[in-house]
Amino acid sequence: MTYADHRADHHSGPQTRDSWLEPDDRAQFDLVVNDQPVHVRAPARCTLADALRQQGLIGTRLGCEQGSCGACTVLLDGQPIRSCLTLAVQAEGCTLETVEQAPPSRELHALRRAFHQHGALQCGFCTSGFLMLAVGLLRDEPDATPERVREVLSANLCRCTGGVPILRAVLAAQQELTGGDR
Amino acid sequence: MKPPPFAYCRPASVAEALSLAAEAGEDAKFIAGGQSLMPLLALRMSRPSHLIDINRLPGLADLRQGSDGLHVGALVRHAALERCDRLSGPWRALREAAALIGHYPIRLRGTFGGSTAHADPSAELPVVATAMNATFIARSSQGDREIPASDFFAGPLMTVLEPAELLIGARFPAPAPRTRSVFEEFSPRAGDFAFASTAVTLTTHDDGRVRSARIALGGVGAVPVRAGEAENVLQGEHLTDGAVREAARRAAAGCDPSHDAHAGAAYRRELIATLVERALARLREEP
Amino acid sequence: MTYSYIGASVERDDSPFLDGSACYVADVDREGQLYARVVRSPVAHARIVSVDVAEALAQPGVITVITAADVPDVRIPIRLPMAETPDTHKFLQPPLAREVVRYVGEPIAVVVAGDPYLAEDAAELVDLEFDELDVVNDVVSAACAGTTLVHPETGTNLVATVPLAFGEVEEAFARADIVLRDRLRVHRHTAVPMETRGLLAEVDQGTGVLTLWGAAKVKHFTRQALSGMLGIGRDRIRLVENHVGGGFGVRGEPYPEDYLIAFLALRLGRPVKWIEDRVEHFVATNHAREQEHDFEVAATADGRLLAFRDRAWCDQGAYVRSQGILPALLPALHMPGPYRWQAFSVETHGVLTHRTPVGTYRGPGMTEATFVRERMLDRLAHELRLDPADLRRRNLIESGQLPWSFKPTPITYESGDFPAGFERLLDQAGYADLREQRDARRARGECVGIGFAAYTEIGGIGPFEEARIVPRPDGGFVAHVGVGSLGQGVETVLAQIAAEKLGVPMEAVTIDHHDTSELADGFGAFASRATTLAGNALALAAEDLRGRAAAKLGVPSADVRLSGGQATAPSGASVPLADLGEGWGRFDKPHPSFSFGAALSLIAIDPGTGQVRVLRHLVLHDVGRAINPKLLRRQLAGAAAQGIGAAVLEELLYDEYGQPLSTLLADYRMPTVEELPDIEVIIEERPTPANPLGVKGGGESGMVGTPAAIANAVADALGAAAGARLWRLPLTPDRVRELLRPA
Repeated sequence: MTYADHRADHHSGPQTRDSWLEPDDRAQFDLVVNDQPVHVRAPARCTLADALRQQGLIGTRLGCEQGSCGACTVLLDGQPIRSCLTLAVQAEGCTLETVEQAPPSRELHALRRAFHQHGALQCGFCTSGFLMLAVGLLRDEPDATPERVREVLSANLCRCTGGVPILRAVLAAQQELTGGDR
Repeated sequence: MKPPPFAYCRPASVAEALSLAAEAGEDAKFIAGGQSLMPLLALRMSRPSHLIDINRLPGLADLRQGSDGLHVGALVRHAALERCDRLSGPWRALREAAALIGHYPIRLRGTFGGSTAHADPSAELPVVATAMNATFIARSSQGDREIPASDFFAGPLMTVLEPAELLIGARFPAPAPRTRSVFEEFSPRAGDFAFASTAVTLTTHDDGRVRSARIALGGVGAVPVRAGEAENVLQGEHLTDGAVREAARRAAAGCDPSHDAHAGAAYRRELIATLVERALARLREEP
Repeated sequence: MTYSYIGASVERDDSPFLDGSACYVADVDREGQLYARVVRSPVAHARIVSVDVAEALAQPGVITVITAADVPDVRIPIRLPMAETPDTHKFLQPPLAREVVRYVGEPIAVVVAGDPYLAEDAAELVDLEFDELDVVNDVVSAACAGTTLVHPETGTNLVATVPLAFGEVEEAFARADIVLRDRLRVHRHTAVPMETRGLLAEVDQGTGVLTLWGAAKVKHFTRQALSGMLGIGRDRIRLVENHVGGGFGVRGEPYPEDYLIAFLALRLGRPVKWIEDRVEHFVATNHAREQEHDFEVAATADGRLLAFRDRAWCDQGAYVRSQGILPALLPALHMPGPYRWQAFSVETHGVLTHRTPVGTYRGPGMTEATFVRERMLDRLAHELRLDPADLRRRNLIESGQLPWSFKPTPITYESGDFPAGFERLLDQAGYADLREQRDARRARGECVGIGFAAYTEIGGIGPFEEARIVPRPDGGFVAHVGVGSLGQGVETVLAQIAAEKLGVPMEAVTIDHHDTSELADGFGAFASRATTLAGNALALAAEDLRGRAAAKLGVPSADVRLSGGQATAPSGASVPLADLGEGWGRFDKPHPSFSFGAALSLIAIDPGTGQVRVLRHLVLHDVGRAINPKLLRRQLAGAAAQGIGAAVLEELLYDEYGQPLSTLLADYRMPTVEELPDIEVIIEERPTPANPLGVKGGGESGMVGTPAAIANAVADALGAAAGARLWRLPLTPDRVRELLRPA
C-alpha cells in the first residue's frame, strides 16, 4: 500500500546534470515563467529569487534571504515555495508563476482585488509573497477552513498590518472563487 | 547574504549520486528540498565544496506500509506526511509532527531525509523516529547500512552518516496491536523551532493498562532523548491523572535541558512536564 | 462646484504593489553599477590592531576596499536642535570605525565589487586583528562610577541628563497616605520593516550632481548632513525616495552607509549600490526602547494622585546617532501622561553601552513611559483596593481644565476630552461584561486578565513644512511636499486635502514627495507630523493659488472655480492657470501638540507553557480630525500589532560579551496572523485649535498604550502576588512561567 501524495511531488522535468558545474561557471538553462520561456545564465549558487529579479521580475522581493519572511514566495510547478531557499539551477525546466503574471490566474485576480478592498497592504513589500502563498493555497485547497488559511498565512511576515486584514482578504477571495459556498 | 561558491551536479540515479559524492570528497553535501541547507548557505555557516542535487531522484519518495512496518523514503515531503490520513493510530505522531515543521511552503519542499539528516536538536522528525524506534537506511558504494534511530543522531546538526553515504529512507517497525502515538510541541510563535517537544507511542493491554510506552523528548539536548523513567512508571498502569502526572514529572526530572537566551533550562524542563502530560492525556481521551 | 474629501475614506491606489511593479530601492539599477559590502565588527569593544585588505582586494571582480584611513574624519550630525546638547558632539559616530570598535556590527571597511556575490566573498577575506577590551552592556551598570567607558576621552558614559520638575514634590510626598516605589524595565526591541535599508548613489558626470536613491523619512536633512560631511553644496546633492517598505522611525535617518555609498560613488565615478541584508539590519539599523526606571508614586487613601518621582537610565548604544538624546528626552516628556499631578520630578539619563546605537521607533519614549506609569498605577489601584478604571477616572484631567500646562516644563495639553475618551474605550469594550466574563472563565480554571492604559502622545513636531502646488498644462496639479511616504498612505491623505482646498477632483492632484530637488526644504515623516504639517501647508498653498486667481479675476476667492486649466469667475471670465504661477504655503508649528489615547486588552495565559494570547485588543486615539478614517484605522491597528509583538514576543538579546543573539527573523519573533487578534480601533475626533485643519497625529498611537495594557492584563491574570512581581517587558513564555512559579 503506497501512501505517497503526488500533489506534494512537484518536480517536473527529467533534466539531469551529470557532470560538475564548477563554482565559477554559469549554467545556462530554461524556465517557464508566467507562461513565457525564460533563458537563465547563472552560477550554481545563484538563488532562484536573484535569478528572477535579474530577469526584471522585481515583484519577487527579498526581505531576509534565508527563508523566514516569505516575501520571495513564488509558485514552482504550482506550489508556493520560498525562492530564496531554492537554487535557480534546481528549478531548471520547471514552470514558475510570479506576482507579475499577466493575465493573472483567476486566483491571483480575485486575491488582488480582495487585498485592495480589505486593506491587506500598507508598504506593499510583503504583498507579492502573500499573494503567491494564497494563490497556491486556494488552488490546492479551495475549501480550506478559516483556521487552515490562518495557519498557512502565518508562514509570511507583514509588519504593517500584522496580517489579520490579509486573512480577511484571502477568505473573501476564497468565497468569491468558490461561488460563495463557504 | 548570498551562498558561498560550490560545484553542482544533478545526477540521474542514486548510484550516480553516490559515485559523484565519492569523487567530490568529504566537503560535498547532498541537497534535496534545501529547506534546512539553504539558510545555512545563505548565512555561510555551511561551505560545501560540492552540492549533489538529489531532489528529483526517482524512487526515493515512497511512503508505503508493509508487513515489516512503514517505509518512508528520503524524498517524501513533509506535506505528503501531513496530508496522509492513513497515518493514524500508531503512525499519528508522524503526521502530527510533519504538520508542525516550519511553515506550509517549507513543508511542501522540505523532505523527510533532509530534515532527519540535518539533525537539528529542535526538529520534529528525529523525535518521532526515536519514539517509534525507526531504522535509517544509508546507502553507499559498499551497499546499504541500517542504523537504528538511537545510534543515528550524533549531536547538534550531526549524524553518523559518512560523507559519501546517502540517507535513502527509514523503516518504522510494525507496531503491536493497540498501539497509538501522538506528538506535542511548544514554540513561542507559529512555525518556529520548538523549545521542547515530545513524541509518545503507547501500547495498551485489552483492559486499557499500559503494556509499553516509548517517550522521546526533543529540544532538551544535543539529540532526541528517551524518558526512560517516565516510560517505566507507566508500565502496567491505567492512564489515571496520577499516573500521567507522575510520568510527566519523571520525564521532566530525568532530562537535562540545555540553556539558551530564549528559553532557560528550568523552563524547558517545565515544558517537558506540560507536553508529556498533554500527550498522555490525549492518548487517554482521544480514540 | 465643491469637492468634499476631508473625512472621507478614500481608497488609495495600491495597484503597483498588487501587480509587482512597485519599485523599491533594490529594484533600481543604473548602468555600470557596482555593489558594496560593509565589513562589520564581530566584537563589541576592541582596539583595532590591523585591517588587512590585501587578500580581499586581490579577489576577482573587486574594485576597491576602503577603511577609515581612506575617508575624512567626519561624524554623522544630529537632526533636531532639541535633541542636541553642548556635549553630544563628543559621542557622534564616524562612518567607519577609527582605532576602536564599540559595537558588534560597527562598519570597519567597505568592499566594492562588480557583483553582490563577489563582494560578499571578498568582504569575508578582509583580515581584522583586534585587541579586545571590556564591555559595558547594561544601562544601570554603565552609569556607575569606575565602569569601563565607551568613549574614554569624554570621562563618562552619560550622554545627557534630562531634568523636569513641576510643583512641590517633597511636600506632596509628605502629604501622601501611600507611596509605592519599584524598578521597571523596558527591553531593547526595534521596528524591523520588511524592506531592509538600501542605497544607490550615482554622480552625473555632466552636472556633477550626486543622486542618492533609497532615501526615506527625512531626505532633506540627510541631504544637508551629506553636504556637510562630503563638503559639497546641497544643490549638488539630490535624494530620491522610492517605494519604501516600512519605516516606523528607523528607516531614512542618515546612517554611516548613507555617507559611505555616496563617498564611494564620488570617488569611483561609477554608480554604487548597497542593499542591507537582514543580519546586518539587526546590528546596523537603529535599536530602540531599552531603559530602566526607578519610579515612585504618592497618592491619597481615596486614590487621588499627588506626585511621582522618576529616575531613568535610557540606553543610547555605543554612539549618539542622528536623533541625539531623544531616547532620554522623550520618556521624560511623556511620564506625567493625562493625569492631574500636583507635582513631579523626572531625571532621565542617556547612557552609553557597547551595543548598536539607539534611535526612535514608533511611539518613542511615550511607549516606555506609559508602561512604567500605567503599571505603577495598577499596582497602586490594587493596594488601594480600587478598580483600576476608577483610579484613572479620579485623576484624568477634565476637559474643562484644558488647556493644561505643567509649567515650567514644556508639557502642555491644548485640547481634547480625556475622561470622555477613556469612558468610550471602556464602553466599547463592554468593561462591566468583560469583567464578568473574566470572572466566569477564572471560575472554570482559566488564567485570564484585563488591563488598560491611558497616555498622552507628542506629535506634530515642527518647525515647519512648505508646499508648492504647480498647475500642469493638462489641467492637473502637482503638489510638492517635504514629508515622505513609508507605506502609510500619506500621499492619499494629502491629495484629499489639496483637492478639497483647491476645489478640484482628487484625480487632478498628484502628490510628489519623492525628490529633494523639487522643494527647497522639508523636515520629513516622523513624530506623527506628516498630515498636520504638510496637510496645513498644502491647504495654505491651495488658498494661495486660489487667491492669485481671485485677484486676477476681481472676485472673492470662494467664487473661483479651477477647472480645465482655467480659473473661472461666476461671470464666466477666466484666466489660464499657467498665468498664475505656483501656489505656495508654509505652515509653522513652533510647539508640538499632545493628544490623548488609551488601550485595553483581554489576555489569557496558558499556565503550562507561560504563553500569553491576546484575545481582544482595543485602541482609542484622539486624532483631532480624521482626514481618511479608513487609512487611519489601518495605521492604528498596524501600530497595535507591533505593540503586541513588543509586549509578548520581540526582544533584541545580547550576551555578556556584547554579542547580539537576535540577528535572524527566526530569533527576533515578530507576530504573525496566528498571534494577533482582530484589533478594534476607536477614533476620537476632537479638533485642536492649534492648526486650521484641526488634526493631531495618529500614525504611532496604536503602539503607545499597547504594551502597558497587555502587561497590566497579564498582571491581572497572574493575581495579586505574582502580578506585583511583573516589572519588565517582554512577557515571553519563559518570563511568564517564571512569574507563575511560587516566589
